[in-house]
Amino acid sequence: MVIYILRRLLALVPVVLIMSIVVFLIIYLIPGDPARVMLGDGADESTIQELRQQMGLNYPLLEQYGRWIGNAVQGDLGRSFFLQQPVSTAIREHLAPTLSLALFAQFIAVLIAIPLGVRAAVNRGGLADKTLNAYSLLGISVPGFLLSLFFVLVFAVRLKWFPVSGYAPLHEGLGSFLKFMFLPALSIGIVMSSLTARIVKASMLEVLHEGFVKTALSKGLRQNTIIYKHVLRNALIPILTVVGGSFGTLVAGAAVIETIFNIPGLGQMLVHAVERRDYAVIQGMVLFIAIVYVAVNLAVDLLYAVVDPRIRLQ
Amino acid sequence: MASENLLEIKALQTYFHTEAGKVSAVDGVSLAVGAGEIVGIVGESGCGKSVTAQSILRLLDEKSQASYSGEVYFEGVDLLKLSQRQMRGVRGNDISMIFQDPLSSLNPLLTIGEQITETIRSHRKFSRKNAWQEAVRLLRLTGIPAPERRVHEYPHQLSGGMRQRVMIAIALACEPKLLIADEPTTALDVTIQAQIMDLIAKLNRELGMSVLLITHDLGVVAEVCHRVAVMYAGQIVETADVATLFREPQHPYTIGLLQSIPSLDRDRTKPLQAVEGFVPALHQLPKGCRFAPRCPHADALCRTEMPLLESKGSSGSQARCWHSEALSQKEAVRHA
Repeated sequence: MVIYILRRLLALVPVVLIMSIVVFLIIYLIPGDPARVMLGDGADESTIQELRQQMGLNYPLLEQYGRWIGNAVQGDLGRSFFLQQPVSTAIREHLAPTLSLALFAQFIAVLIAIPLGVRAAVNRGGLADKTLNAYSLLGISVPGFLLSLFFVLVFAVRLKWFPVSGYAPLHEGLGSFLKFMFLPALSIGIVMSSLTARIVKASMLEVLHEGFVKTALSKGLRQNTIIYKHVLRNALIPILTVVGGSFGTLVAGAAVIETIFNIPGLGQMLVHAVERRDYAVIQGMVLFIAIVYVAVNLAVDLLYAVVDPRIRLQ
Repeated sequence: MASENLLEIKALQTYFHTEAGKVSAVDGVSLAVGAGEIVGIVGESGCGKSVTAQSILRLLDEKSQASYSGEVYFEGVDLLKLSQRQMRGVRGNDISMIFQDPLSSLNPLLTIGEQITETIRSHRKFSRKNAWQEAVRLLRLTGIPAPERRVHEYPHQLSGGMRQRVMIAIALACEPKLLIADEPTTALDVTIQAQIMDLIAKLNRELGMSVLLITHDLGVVAEVCHRVAVMYAGQIVETADVATLFREPQHPYTIGLLQSIPSLDRDRTKPLQAVEGFVPALHQLPKGCRFAPRCPHADALCRTEMPLLESKGSSGSQARCWHSEALSQKEAVRHA
């Protein structure tokens, strides 16, 4: 098990290294001089030179990367010209709304997807199966922003059950936090669950044909014991992969939903940074997002080992 | 229904609902297993022997795929009439089953102990601790070395033979009166096969547990069974006690099966006799005797009229053949 974790961790080093190089080079892939682009057309030459100096653009490329990555390893991702604060501080401030939205949405998605997918697989062609088909078609074809606007219209504007938009941090009370979070989390959760439910069903169907399911039946176990203890557990690995992947996407920031509900999260921050050509923020955030993906994948790998003794005891 | 038989199957039909229509995989099978008896069902792949076995415990999907008719009496109770809930009380408790491939029959994610104790605890009021002690005892009973350690291991850590012993330990968990063994040795090495069969025979002797043994291996039948039924295309074509079946086979299919067993003293210049052809598909069964298309003795009668399972000879065997008397005389002449 320790070797398994170490091997997984070691495999991450080259991935992160290559990503950091790509992220660093983003700045040079965009046409024009970064300092000139940031300051706009009206800036005079001396201001531009000053910014170039400040951004370290006058050093050779390799040295620039060295300085950048050296600082990044210590948690210093540079300073945002527009936000007038360190990039790492800005990320930290915007992380909490995004993370809580991601967790909440993921929770809703799993809460819908698992029972629906399980019932659909166990009772093929039955009501749950038909519901799943209609539901997932809807979830895949209706974009999240449309769904969220619909929810806002019905539940916030008409029924006034929830606020139209905004954000209240968790430490200001669970009630108001949930009130603000519910509609955005539901919008994302529904879209995500439609894909996850399909995976749950497909994965369950595969396991239902396994011999040990017949053994479990022949032992006289209850149907729910067979389905949840024997079948679902064995179907969990593909489900974990999908859930992990969509969670990574969410932590990277659900820019559209965050914008609609005016949640000060990472997605919104990234969009603004791109609009303003705030290179330090873009670089820092892309690196951060990449690391989040890697971390989520690592977590999923570790969960595989928790679920499956054949991986754990290798 | 008064009967000394533990299990009595009467005119069992098992239908599968396929896209091509309803087909019967088991067609009018009647079979009895007495207390303490080992009865074998022999036949080629696809002859319906496994489906018969699974029909007894009603393991087939009754919601969409399968349905039954006929009667399956266990201790005088017709299992086919029980509710799913009542059926659950029979499975693993009165009747247990072991399967062909012990690896795929065990859940890879649960420890051996968990898989044994969940059976015990779903039928008996055992504390967790007592159930685990019982699991260790059962593993020891099935001849697994160091059961205290094995009980915490997972199926992939055991060899094939050990896994089948674990399956048997699970099956024995609630001291069933009947064990259905569906090709228990097919997936195992030859040396291990003998060990597993010895174990089953020993448990039958010592615990008085009846066994219904499904196999395609007549050698296994000869070794452990008391009585045997030969199945072909969903029907029993011959049934007899083991000695009679080997001495005086009545049905041409049984004769074919016996001739296809290789033996050391056979004439090696001649090829091994095989039963030519294939088992017919369920949705295109022949009109008369189902074996007629493959039978060297078939005539016009065989191709149009299906023979019944009737008593033949003097030793109480039954066969489904128009010509078995004539054939067994010929056999006798040939052997003389």
